[in-house]
Amino acid sequence: MKLFGAEQERVLGSLYGAEAAEAYGSLLRSLSVVLEEKVSPLSLALDQGKGEIKVPRRVLFDQGVCRLPHAGEFGGMGVSFGVYALAMELAGAADASTAMSFGIHNTVAEAVATFGSAEQKGRLLSALLSGKKLAAFALTEPTSGSDARSMHTTASRDGKNYVIDGSKMFITNAGEADLYLVFAATGKGHGAFLVEGTNPGLKVGRALKEKLGMRGSHTAEVRLVKCLVAEDSLLGKEGTGFDQAKRLLDSSRIVMGMICIGIARAAYVKALAYAKGRELFGRKLSDMQITREKVANAAIETSAARLLCMHAARLKDVGKPYSSEAAQGKVFAAEMAVRTCDAAVQLLGGYGYTSDDVHRHLRDARLLTIGEGTSEVLRMLIASQELERER
Amino acid sequence: MNIVVLVKSAVDEAELRADPSGHPVLKGAAVKMSNFDMNGVEEAVKQKEANGGTVIVVTLGGADAKKAIKEAMAMGGTRAVHILAEPPAAPDSLATAYCLAQAVKRIGDVDLVVCSEGASDTYQGEVGAMVAEFLDMPFIAYARKVATANGKVRCEQGLRGAVRVLEAKLPAVVSVVSEANVPRYPTLLQVMAAGKKPIEEIPVASLNGPDYPETGTEVIDITIQPADRKKLLFDGTPEEAAKKLVDALKQEAVL
Amino acid sequence: MTGAVLSYSESAELAGEVAAAGAEVATMLGTDAVALELDEMSAGLRTSGSVVVLKGDRALEAIADSAASGILEFAKTKGFGALLIGETRFGTMVAAKVAARLKVGSLGKGKKLRVDGGRLVLERDAYGGKFVATVASKLPCVAVVQAGAYRATDAPPRAVETVTVAVGEPKVAIAETRHGQERDAGIKSAAKIVSAGRGFAKKEDLALAQDLASALGAAIGCSRPLSSDLGWMGEEAHIGLTGAYVHPQLYVAIGISGQLQHVAGIKDSKIIVAINKDRQAPIFQVADYGIVGDLYEIVPALTKAVKQG
Repeated sequence: MKLFGAEQERVLGSLYGAEAAEAYGSLLRSLSVVLEEKVSPLSLALDQGKGEIKVPRRVLFDQGVCRLPHAGEFGGMGVSFGVYALAMELAGAADASTAMSFGIHNTVAEAVATFGSAEQKGRLLSALLSGKKLAAFALTEPTSGSDARSMHTTASRDGKNYVIDGSKMFITNAGEADLYLVFAATGKGHGAFLVEGTNPGLKVGRALKEKLGMRGSHTAEVRLVKCLVAEDSLLGKEGTGFDQAKRLLDSSRIVMGMICIGIARAAYVKALAYAKGRELFGRKLSDMQITREKVANAAIETSAARLLCMHAARLKDVGKPYSSEAAQGKVFAAEMAVRTCDAAVQLLGGYGYTSDDVHRHLRDARLLTIGEGTSEVLRMLIASQELERER
Repeated sequence: MNIVVLVKSAVDEAELRADPSGHPVLKGAAVKMSNFDMNGVEEAVKQKEANGGTVIVVTLGGADAKKAIKEAMAMGGTRAVHILAEPPAAPDSLATAYCLAQAVKRIGDVDLVVCSEGASDTYQGEVGAMVAEFLDMPFIAYARKVATANGKVRCEQGLRGAVRVLEAKLPAVVSVVSEANVPRYPTLLQVMAAGKKPIEEIPVASLNGPDYPETGTEVIDITIQPADRKKLLFDGTPEEAAKKLVDALKQEAVL
Repeated sequence: MTGAVLSYSESAELAGEVAAAGAEVATMLGTDAVALELDEMSAGLRTSGSVVVLKGDRALEAIADSAASGILEFAKTKGFGALLIGETRFGTMVAAKVAARLKVGSLGKGKKLRVDGGRLVLERDAYGGKFVATVASKLPCVAVVQAGAYRATDAPPRAVETVTVAVGEPKVAIAETRHGQERDAGIKSAAKIVSAGRGFAKKEDLALAQDLASALGAAIGCSRPLSSDLGWMGEEAHIGLTGAYVHPQLYVAIGISGQLQHVAGIKDSKIIVAINKDRQAPIFQVADYGIVGDLYEIVPALTKAVKQG
């Protein structure tokens, strides 16, 4: 499957103008060749529990995708977030688990770049952008997901240090990560703490192996047991943790939306190829009107999802508020991806149902109406912003 | 060391379609760096990394050849010379070789010219040898290994089951086969930097001297190769499918 | 009258084929056909025309440079209408050099030659073999002839003449020769071919293809990755745009995806069969019959079915 194609070129052109689009197009085209040759071939095996995610993830790091939206100081490329978002669509189409794992790592890199002190950036950012250090984002808990503010993990002062106690759940990259961004309630609100994976107070629980999809990535519970961290592991000011989380999730939602679009494309490319070859009632499946309606819907919804997510990305790039748009994009893209991947299984008929190379896309997409903000909580966010606006 | 690498912006044959009369739709066809040329560029860049110097990418083609040039630059080219000629860029291999050789002469002080075993879209494999003739340089073809030292180039060449080691004085022209190396994937940073590297444009007409080879060669026609294959798939268990296949082949009288 | 049609190949087998091509073109032009041999006459050269053996004060066939110089010397003194060279890597180099030195047209390599309005016309593959290009050049000109495109006659030459040519020192020197075995997979003349591709996980598994080939009485070939990157089979078995063009009655492609580069070499097969686990593999678009599935199950089943007749 050609990951960077005509539709991506046109989107670049319409959003950025011809000259920038050509430069960005070269970047994305070059990336897509590498993804097609080094990541896509590993994708099915990862779903089947064979192979290691660090191999394809390393390809993304080596290409420098992580560097795209960051300023040049620590090895960033200073290219717009929008281009990074499109790169993540390609990554999502190449392998969903890898894109997810990589995207979440990048959220922590963004956290350090945005909220970190000069010392923290100097210490960590270069290693995060090169992938020398892998990061995990630990916000969700066994009893708090959507209602993140009600988290039970605490961080209490102990002289110049903090002691973190609590439990985090469904943490992507758990066990692999070198660095965990752990959100905890402090006396004055919440704080985000950078905890080394080697910290004896951080314990990774049993790997969650019965996931419906995203089987390539490592997900587990992470427990903080009298986890001692130095003062300089707090990101930014104490009390701002929850706000930081909200801002980071706004950004991450755009990426998750784009990954969903990639997953949807991967599925329906297979469905289309099948429809062109399958014959019934004297005609090709792709010639039948009922099929064409499905194809049109997939195209409409993919375009719509992409433009909505890219709109949020562009708002972010120009410094405008984008949290509602990011949520809208993610809700729509995730639900669209599930619909489209499901339609792909349907089109492939018996082969769709019995082939993990087809239904894995549906299984992968199914996470994203839940993870990184359930569709329900995101609708709450969107509605409350709508109701607050002066109309 | 000044190394020139010859790169062709080739039609992406996988994307090329035919019009209703069976002729290829060349206008606006997708182009890409010819596959084998990636090995040529890789070899040139390796030589640069081993010996220091520059890699100058030379391409004959239309405006859309910029894409292939930038890909070559991202792999490690220093600068490029783009001989601008709208397709059909040149009537035959000889004219192509002449233009490329003229450009190389203009560059001057060149130690090594690298090219590949052939273009991915036309694969005639003659331009390299012809460029060497026009430049009056030694030519070593089908090189699997290239080494330069003491003003000479030494190559391993595969020829019908035997391997020969050939040597020639620099400056020389060498064509490499795809077994010579594994072309590197440029990082996004390298792709971005490539966009800023200089590309010199030369209109092809300015290269044509009195010695331009008018051979009276022309392409009269290009038509799609008929491929009426049955495309029948046999399903069922391996045994069932195999049996159906054997029956069909017997019907075809090829078994 | 037009100059003679000269033919040459360093390969004895090809030399006969190219000589036949030369004879045909010579008849069309109403001129003579001359087959060129370098250094010495090869035993069993088949041509209905005359043969000229070119000898120099150094081996002419050692380096393409010398071969080209030798042929050039002869061509310049004798005059020629067309020079046809058999397609090998060596032949391609010689053709290119002669054309460049004489500044005459090189038609490239193809399989069908004809004469039209005083021009030599060649049909050759274009765009990865998807299309066929018809190219013409005024005379004199050079063309490269594909193996298997013409059949050598079964007649010994009419006359053999030796001509001495003077060639300078070649610009390229041979530092070392490591003789491999010049093997012949027999694919160029085979009526049935079983061909292996990347679908095979390891070299040892090629035994499955071998079993099928034995049952069918077929030769074995492969796609380029197996002979070059992986080295599981020799170059002589490589079928494709940059390898051999084959024209069997039956071609069975196992675990071959069907990239254009490979397909270019099998287009002239009467019946193409494809076995591949990927339903979307391009090979199924160019096959007459196909089975989608695991080759490790299908090939043994097929071998068994063939043996059972």
